[in-house]
Amino acid sequence: MTPTLVARLPAAVAITALSVLLSGCGPSQPQATSKDYMVVVSRPNHLNIIDAETLEPVNRCDLPAHPAPGTVVMSPDGQIAYTLIGSFGEVYGLDIESCEVVFSANQSQGNERVRSFGSIAISPDGSEIYLHQNPTLIMSDHYQAQPTRMAVFNVNDGLDAKAVRTFPAPRQVTIMKTGDDGTLYLGGPDVYAMDVSTGETRVAIASRSLSNPQYSPRDVLTVWPIGDTSNEFIRMFSVARFNGEPGDMAEASYHWGYERIDLTSGEVSDPIFGPLEVVLFSGQTRPGHPDQMWAVLSHLKQFDVPSQTEVRSLTLDHTYYCINFSTDGNTIYLSGALDDIVAYDADTLEKLGNITLGGDMSMSTPRVIHRPVITSRL
Amino acid sequence: MKKLKPINQKAIELAGTTSQQQVDDVVAMQSVVGCASTTDPGWEVDMFGGTAGLCQPMEADLYGCSDPCWWPAQVPDMMNTYPDWSADAPSAAKNWRNLDSVYPGKE
Repeated sequence: MTPTLVARLPAAVAITALSVLLSGCGPSQPQATSKDYMVVVSRPNHLNIIDAETLEPVNRCDLPAHPAPGTVVMSPDGQIAYTLIGSFGEVYGLDIESCEVVFSANQSQGNERVRSFGSIAISPDGSEIYLHQNPTLIMSDHYQAQPTRMAVFNVNDGLDAKAVRTFPAPRQVTIMKTGDDGTLYLGGPDVYAMDVSTGETRVAIASRSLSNPQYSPRDVLTVWPIGDTSNEFIRMFSVARFNGEPGDMAEASYHWGYERIDLTSGEVSDPIFGPLEVVLFSGQTRPGHPDQMWAVLSHLKQFDVPSQTEVRSLTLDHTYYCINFSTDGNTIYLSGALDDIVAYDADTLEKLGNITLGGDMSMSTPRVIHRPVITSRL
Repeated sequence: MKKLKPINQKAIELAGTTSQQQVDDVVAMQSVVGCASTTDPGWEVDMFGGTAGLCQPMEADLYGCSDPCWWPAQVPDMMNTYPDWSADAPSAAKNWRNLDSVYPGKE
């Protein structure tokens, strides 16, 4: 059965067929003991746990706060989902099997309102949660913007946890990820590396502070800390290259590039990877294929990084904000914006199926994890 | 601005702060949290002046703009002032009829 045929079948049949197709398991083969799952927040207040191979939901937990922004980080064992929700101000950790809330923190206290964009990360051992905080004092007749800071929470503090350490941090930080060595990377005007023990911060990748007369300043937009399955911190930028005199827009060409940190080695790179022809919101490299860069908005595009060329382009049924890969790199998941997640074969670009959640994901950041099999609770 | 004269306490304080060009003002303007004052292209025209680059359909981008207070002139600010605006419309494309106009609330 071809993926094309699967896409033509009624949804229920297609899901069953897709299960066999994607798992590659015949009746005589043993059941897998672990598999890929996707964990994603959707309206009105749901944490969805989805079998990423069959696109069937296996559990759905009710979240105790407004779902925005819906940025999720997972404990290393894939059991606890830490969700940044509550109008960008609250964090809840839920057991994805029992739905029990095992951790919570309301960042706002008194008349200090604290918001975090997609800037939540977890230490490699799962013991600490990091939040980039934007505090504002709410006065009777005016607001006072306060210095931004990094707040460190101990997950073992459970409910109503308070920060155990805080450090000054750069402003305008929208995504964060931790390296395997525990370094915390912050995506702001530049990409920063922070020692979470001392708060010492250095520039890991110059972005806004970069000065190259042959290029315009970089333009970056991201609130999606993606790239887990390639173990990378990654965000895209657009830039104009001046092919004539510096600043001569008439002779400029426009390009996409990415700023990337290999979270295993700490190696940084910021190449241009292709021509800028349409707007794209999020992108990551394909697991096991570092030369392949994939990005999405209203199109799904594949680029060849060394040659800086676009390889393939697919016009989508509607806009998706966020791209993810399966852990083996063979399946692409598009999510965010509206209420459905679609899967594509990364080699053939055939549509493998989709799942409708019933509520919009908006700017949620899903996680794809590989963990022991979950018995469906639905 | 030079011909404007502050006449109440708040205005005097504001004018003084402006003349001193205090860093706090710059810090406030740099804050990414709170409503953007941007009128960047995005809903009406895309970055190339056309419409092909806009989100499709526009409902796909609705909550992505209201949740983070990205375009407060076009959609309510759900981060701060109207968090329940979409309470009866979990799916913007299917429930958009339940999205109403918003009005200043009572303190």
